[in-house]
Amino acid sequence: MKTKTINIIGLFFILLVVLPELLLAQAVEKNTLSLTLKYYNDNNITHHLLVQAKSKIDGKFQKIAHIPVQFYITNDTEKKNLIGSGVTNEKGEYVVVIPAAAKEEWLKSPNQNFVVVGEATPKFDEGRAEVSITKAKLKIDTVEGKIITAKLIALVDTTWTPISGVDVVLGVKRLGGVLNANETLTYTTDSSGTVKAEFKRDSIPGDAKENIILVASVIDNDVYGNLSAELAAPWGAKTIYTTNFDHRSLFARRGHSPIWLELLAYGIVAAVWAVIIYLLFQIRTIKKLGLE
Amino acid sequence: MEKSAENKIIQDLLPQKFGKKGKFWVIGLLAICALGAFAYGRQLYYGLEVTGLRDYVSWGIYISNFVFFVAISLVGSLITAVLRLTNVHWSTPLTRIAEIIAVSAITFASLIIIVDMGRPERFYNLFLHGRLQSPIIWDVIVITTYFFISLLLLYFPLLPDLKIMIAFKERNGKWLQKLYEFLGSFWKNKPEQFKITNKAINILSISIIPVAFAIHTVTSWLFATTYRPGWDSTNFGAYFISGAFLVGSGGVLIAMYVFRAHYKLEKYITDDHFDRMGKVVVLLALLYLYFNVNEFLVPAFKMKKSEEEHLLGLFTGEFAPVFWFAIFTAMIIPIGILLFKNGRKPKAAFVAGILVVVGSWFKRYLIVTPTLLHPFLPMHDVPANYKHYFPSWEEWAIAGGSLAGALLVITFFARIFPIIPIHETIIETESHENKNN
Repeated sequence: MKTKTINIIGLFFILLVVLPELLLAQAVEKNTLSLTLKYYNDNNITHHLLVQAKSKIDGKFQKIAHIPVQFYITNDTEKKNLIGSGVTNEKGEYVVVIPAAAKEEWLKSPNQNFVVVGEATPKFDEGRAEVSITKAKLKIDTVEGKIITAKLIALVDTTWTPISGVDVVLGVKRLGGVLNANETLTYTTDSSGTVKAEFKRDSIPGDAKENIILVASVIDNDVYGNLSAELAAPWGAKTIYTTNFDHRSLFARRGHSPIWLELLAYGIVAAVWAVIIYLLFQIRTIKKLGLE
Repeated sequence: MEKSAENKIIQDLLPQKFGKKGKFWVIGLLAICALGAFAYGRQLYYGLEVTGLRDYVSWGIYISNFVFFVAISLVGSLITAVLRLTNVHWSTPLTRIAEIIAVSAITFASLIIIVDMGRPERFYNLFLHGRLQSPIIWDVIVITTYFFISLLLLYFPLLPDLKIMIAFKERNGKWLQKLYEFLGSFWKNKPEQFKITNKAINILSISIIPVAFAIHTVTSWLFATTYRPGWDSTNFGAYFISGAFLVGSGGVLIAMYVFRAHYKLEKYITDDHFDRMGKVVVLLALLYLYFNVNEFLVPAFKMKKSEEEHLLGLFTGEFAPVFWFAIFTAMIIPIGILLFKNGRKPKAAFVAGILVVVGSWFKRYLIVTPTLLHPFLPMHDVPANYKHYFPSWEEWAIAGGSLAGALLVITFFARIFPIIPIHETIIETESHENKNN
């Protein structure tokens, strides 16, 4: 009887210790981290990589912030190939500019691989993504008659060769985005790697010199990644920035009241107080008369 | 005019010492003021937290009281200036009453503004860093100006009376005699002195009218230049001025009755004065009613969504009892009383005056509070006490104290100076006798 009681107590304690462990093991089941890596060539000057971290939670892909990420040039995630690291922001993104230190590796081949590794966190497993690109350049120019031209060339072995059959967007920078040059959304490069578009946006506000920024871009291409090129052209409407801030107005800050208001207000105050002061002097006159 | 008749007028109109009733009245007012001062001490020590004022209603009864005081002060310009310039002589015995009401009211209007400030020690910043475009700075300027003009308008006609009072050295006592001599010992009844005084009074009468209109128009602009339901009106200046003349005239009716009864002035403040003043009040009440119809009927006809809650709150909602009480007591009932000759008898006119003043105070409360409770852009998730306002005992005590303070100023003035101009009454009586002869 006594042994039976001891066994029941023992079982109870075993359950007490093991059960929370089992439950906890279920609770910390991690989500799969999905990373996407993109390559960007910015106006043939800088190159950057963008990682997007997502995970399927409750049946929906959600952006995942606060994931530590490391970027590597080549597929080898050795320390010597590390070109940058950081933590994803609220949009689940992090950008790293390819540093000049990676030049030696960059010049080795016409194609380039990049790898991003997302560190495991208490909620997410480790993630990894790769991108492989062929080095390419997009050049933008204009010809008479408000025609935008763009030429795509890629490095084949050691030669920059025109590339045909790639979609290019031609447009103008406008309000934080790109507005197409005309009704056509994209143009496909011909055998010379060139696209042409007539610029039909005459009323676009430019700067004081009528300059607007023309843009050519290849977006999310499987081979070349994202390429963009910009060029200033005097095709816009002249816009001189003016602001009413700090001008004299009824709504301006102290000391910036309209002149007419100052004249009127101070004039009235001065006139009325002149009367009051005159009358105070009259009291003095009355006093003098009384003392005579 | 016979010397004995003149002496009789002087004896009748000289200021009298407080009797038993007067002492009780003064002690009562002092007690209310002391309670108000204690409450203000608590407000200074603990901050505005002791009040019912929150982020929505940040003005409450303090600013209602301010608008009320500014409004009632306008009567000085109506009785003294407008009626004087239009050669209306029946108002002569009422001019000083009107002027002292104006001075005491404008003094407490200035003080109550400071009371509404959480950090009154920073008041000087308004002068150092005032923004000329803001109606607040115009209000400060125009209130100060109006105060000084009213004071001068009180002082100039007082000069001949001071000479009369100085003659009663024994009756005056040491301190009063010194005060009278300081203020008017130089007055010798010389024609040149009268000439300057009359000219000064005329200048003041002309000056005070635009200043008076400015003071209440600017007060109305404190509201109307703010984009809020109930205040977003082009009618506000005229609406405020008509209301101000009404409440001031109501105040004069009350003061006339009280001074007449207390100092036995039936010979000087006659039934005819009540009759005429009653007619003035009817006219002003009708005018104010007209502006009220404009102020509420037009927005109610359109019933814009953003103003709907505010308007319905006044007509049938939370504020309906106070709204209709104010409309009936400040305008409709007094019109009903004073339209009839019997209603313009002293007692009835006194009751009408009280109704006008009480109703007008609540009218100012309704101008300030319901609008503040219904901003065009309400804050999210505000605490429940932001959405309702009821003044704390400290606010009532301070507001009561300020009203008692204004009455104390009038009371002490009537104790020290003749509340009816003695010299002008003698002159008027003389000219009346000459006409009859």
